[in-house]
Amino acid sequence: MYHARGGRTGQNSQYRFRSLCDGSPRCSSPLNVATVGPVTESSQNNQTQSASRTPLIRRLAGAQEAGLLLVIVLMGTLLAILGGTKQKQFRIDISPEANVVEFYADGTEGTPGDRPLPQVSGWRVTENSNTTTFDREEGFSYNAGQQAFFGKTTVNKFLDKENLVLVAKDASFIAIMAVGMTAVIILAGIDLSVGSIYGLSALLGAMALNGLLDPGTSALLSIPVGVGICCLVGALCGAANGIMIVGLRVHPFVITLGTMAAYRGVIFVVSKGQSVGQFPSSFTSGFFKAEIAGVYPVPVIVMLLVGAVGVFLLAKTVVGRQVYAIGGNETAAKYAGIPVGRVKFIVYTLLGLLAGLSAAVYLGYLGAAEPNAGMTYELKVIAATVIGGASLMGGRGSALGAVLGAIVIQLIDNGMIILGVDQSYNQIVMGVAIIIAVVIDQAKTRFAPKG
Amino acid sequence: MAIANETVLLSVKGVSKRFGITQALSDVSVEFRAGEVHALMGENGAGKSTLGKAIAGLHKPDTGYIAIEGKQLKLGSIDDAFAAGVRIVHQELAQCPNLSVAENLCLHDMPKKSVCTVDFNEMTRRASELVHKLDPSIDVAMPLGRLSPGKRQICQIAASLEDGADRGGSSPRIIVFDEPTSSLSIAEADRLGEIVRELAQQGLTIIYVSHRMGEIFACCDRVTVLRDGKFVATNEVKDIDEAALVEQMIGRRVVTPGGKAEGELNEASALQEAAGVGGEHPHAGKVVLSAKSITSPGKLRDVSLKVRAGEVLGIGGLVGAGRSELLAAIFGLDPRATGDLTIDGNPLRIGKARASIRAGLGLVPEDRRHEGLFFDLGVDENIVAPRMPALASWSLPFGLRKIGEEARLVRERIKAFQVKTASTKSKPGELSGGNQQKLLIARWMGEETKILLLDEPTRGIDVGTKVEVYKLIREAADKGLAVLLVSSEMPELLALSDRIMVLADGVCTGTLEGDEMTQTNVLTLATRETSAA
Repeated sequence: MYHARGGRTGQNSQYRFRSLCDGSPRCSSPLNVATVGPVTESSQNNQTQSASRTPLIRRLAGAQEAGLLLVIVLMGTLLAILGGTKQKQFRIDISPEANVVEFYADGTEGTPGDRPLPQVSGWRVTENSNTTTFDREEGFSYNAGQQAFFGKTTVNKFLDKENLVLVAKDASFIAIMAVGMTAVIILAGIDLSVGSIYGLSALLGAMALNGLLDPGTSALLSIPVGVGICCLVGALCGAANGIMIVGLRVHPFVITLGTMAAYRGVIFVVSKGQSVGQFPSSFTSGFFKAEIAGVYPVPVIVMLLVGAVGVFLLAKTVVGRQVYAIGGNETAAKYAGIPVGRVKFIVYTLLGLLAGLSAAVYLGYLGAAEPNAGMTYELKVIAATVIGGASLMGGRGSALGAVLGAIVIQLIDNGMIILGVDQSYNQIVMGVAIIIAVVIDQAKTRFAPKG
Repeated sequence: MAIANETVLLSVKGVSKRFGITQALSDVSVEFRAGEVHALMGENGAGKSTLGKAIAGLHKPDTGYIAIEGKQLKLGSIDDAFAAGVRIVHQELAQCPNLSVAENLCLHDMPKKSVCTVDFNEMTRRASELVHKLDPSIDVAMPLGRLSPGKRQICQIAASLEDGADRGGSSPRIIVFDEPTSSLSIAEADRLGEIVRELAQQGLTIIYVSHRMGEIFACCDRVTVLRDGKFVATNEVKDIDEAALVEQMIGRRVVTPGGKAEGELNEASALQEAAGVGGEHPHAGKVVLSAKSITSPGKLRDVSLKVRAGEVLGIGGLVGAGRSELLAAIFGLDPRATGDLTIDGNPLRIGKARASIRAGLGLVPEDRRHEGLFFDLGVDENIVAPRMPALASWSLPFGLRKIGEEARLVRERIKAFQVKTASTKSKPGELSGGNQQKLLIARWMGEETKILLLDEPTRGIDVGTKVEVYKLIREAADKGLAVLLVSSEMPELLALSDRIMVLADGVCTGTLEGDEMTQTNVLTLATRETSAA
């Protein structure tokens, strides 16, 4: 009799519960009875069907990253509207064979340079019987020495193609590392040494590119050497972190606080405080800073690839799920036979490797390694990860979120420039943004409907 | 119980295990038969959990061996024990709340689609098959953290039943249940008992670690008693009664009045006798605490109560009915709680714990480890903590402590509450569980406390200490303390309370007095359907 009663109570309370529960764990009370009482067939079917029938759009909207995407779109819209426009110069080259004539307000013509500029109303360019006119009132000017016309257009400060790629490029250095940091933070760990690993990888990679290779080395050699050395150095540093964290059983915060200083020290010893530059151009303008369609998109492409691989690794592979399991409950993971130490080692090594990859991209893009490269990057990387929805308590986070988080951070930076706010305020805004992001995220979890 | 035969499946020989200075097991030998439900019993610290964990490979014994059908297991190896078919259902919910039910069930051996990718469809199929045998209402795609403790426990049992034989793994043969009911409600525990019997009927050997008498008599075939890490005896359950078991457990005979011989109630009457409870209590005292329409969104609705000086008001109900939440709301720990409180006729603003303490409220929380004691501070500071501001020379944040007065107060309390501690500077971690609990209660035992809120005051402490705690609570009540008592142990609730208020789904479903206070009546009210919380 008791069970039967319990069952019925449970059935009713399940519905009540959905609407009234505030989501706190204690609140699951009415369900307790239902768990043990007999449950009717129909209710069971309802439950399973409703779970699988949730429409894709709703599932997407409910995803952790949807909110971030919305934030990015909102910030973008605001910047596009408030940022205003700017004059932007562009260049039109003309072939040497083309014939250029000046014309004046009075209808007469002459060769360029005949009369002072204020009297010129425009230029007529004739080549292969095609004639193009450039009016001076429309902002065009002619540079005979460079065989080119320079024009001016009005562009939106934010939506300008170059600006958008710039934001994405700046984000990519952070985002590549943030993908690795996400895995570490899901493990309930932390790595403060990423900035130093990044700097050390960049320096040693730069020394190899500068010292071992001729400036004219082909891309087939320079890219494997540059990327390989950076990634190897990064992975070794990460592996050292991993070995110490697992082997010495010291909290990762302490270990990486130590290695953050130690790796940075190695940089200053090795570099003697000098920056290292002059690489094969096949590594820089030939690859990482290759111009495609007027922009430099390679770092962004690397970021997207790393993000995609990260999403796949964390969501679909056994080791990825083991990372979540360890973060959720390390004891349970151990009891389930998961090689906790090995997984941790792998994750810290991968983060090091990604820091190295990020360093390679930075070398290729900027063409030099400075001793203080990557200083305070650890904070930006951790911030990106946390804004991306990772929980420092472990068990929660996503690679896609980390990439989006890095973009949010760069958007804030970029927004300050576009809106003309004094750069000194950057850090204040950034700090406040991080706290707001995490508070919103927590509030979302707290009020999320519970089953 | 018929299936159990005489064949020995698992034998433990001469196993010893030492943790630091504690000898958890010394030279224990037990034999477990195929298909039986074999209970391991003992007081806290007797070594029953350690033995269960050693069998499952979670602890590595210092000496001795463990063998299945004569084949020795590699000691301390989870993998070896698993391969031999030993599974364990942990006491604390050893699960990952962030992962789905299906992932939790397949954590040990995730189905793979290729070299490294997870086959989620296969995982869902396998998990549903396992869990739906026990409870068809569980949705395996749901994050496990959103399930109730009872359902989580069922998932844990389901995980232990995973049969990997056709994938080159092992089939379960022996399942160790380590205090499986400690976080379950009464009804859930009943269902668990049924599951245990069903599993035994299917030929599995169950090792059932517990200190709850009722469960032993309800579902076990044999029971082995451990005391202080030593083997005492293995008994056929049908040949032994509760008094004899208790005697084996504590090594002396507890005063047992003849007559009642039904399960746990027998223990209760023994306790009742020892605590001198049960008679009429003249609680003509004036109303000390009166609470009107205490409401907290989603937890409590419109709960009103009155407690008189010298009265123990029991609060009954199932796990999750809102009992602890009611205490928290009255004490001022629930920021969303509303309602009117008066103490000695003076109104008290709800939701401010500091003000509540000043007005004479004291709370002994359910979880002494996380909510009760300061494990890095000494016994003295643990006792004096809530009184420190009042004793200080100025009532300012930087007021100077009056060390001498504090020390005197600590000595008094330790003596009055018989807290066994080496010195007043000892850390609570050095005390036994029972003494930790007494320490926690002693914190509030002074004339400054008018109303004591007790949440599961005897959880996880041994029988002997329970009797002492009962006696001390009763004595304090007789001196004029008003007590609100939440307890999941029905005999304790019935024996200690002068009246019992029953909650269900956060609503008061009735108050029982005098002869109405029976287990049946409490359960009837506790399971009554309510309009909403």
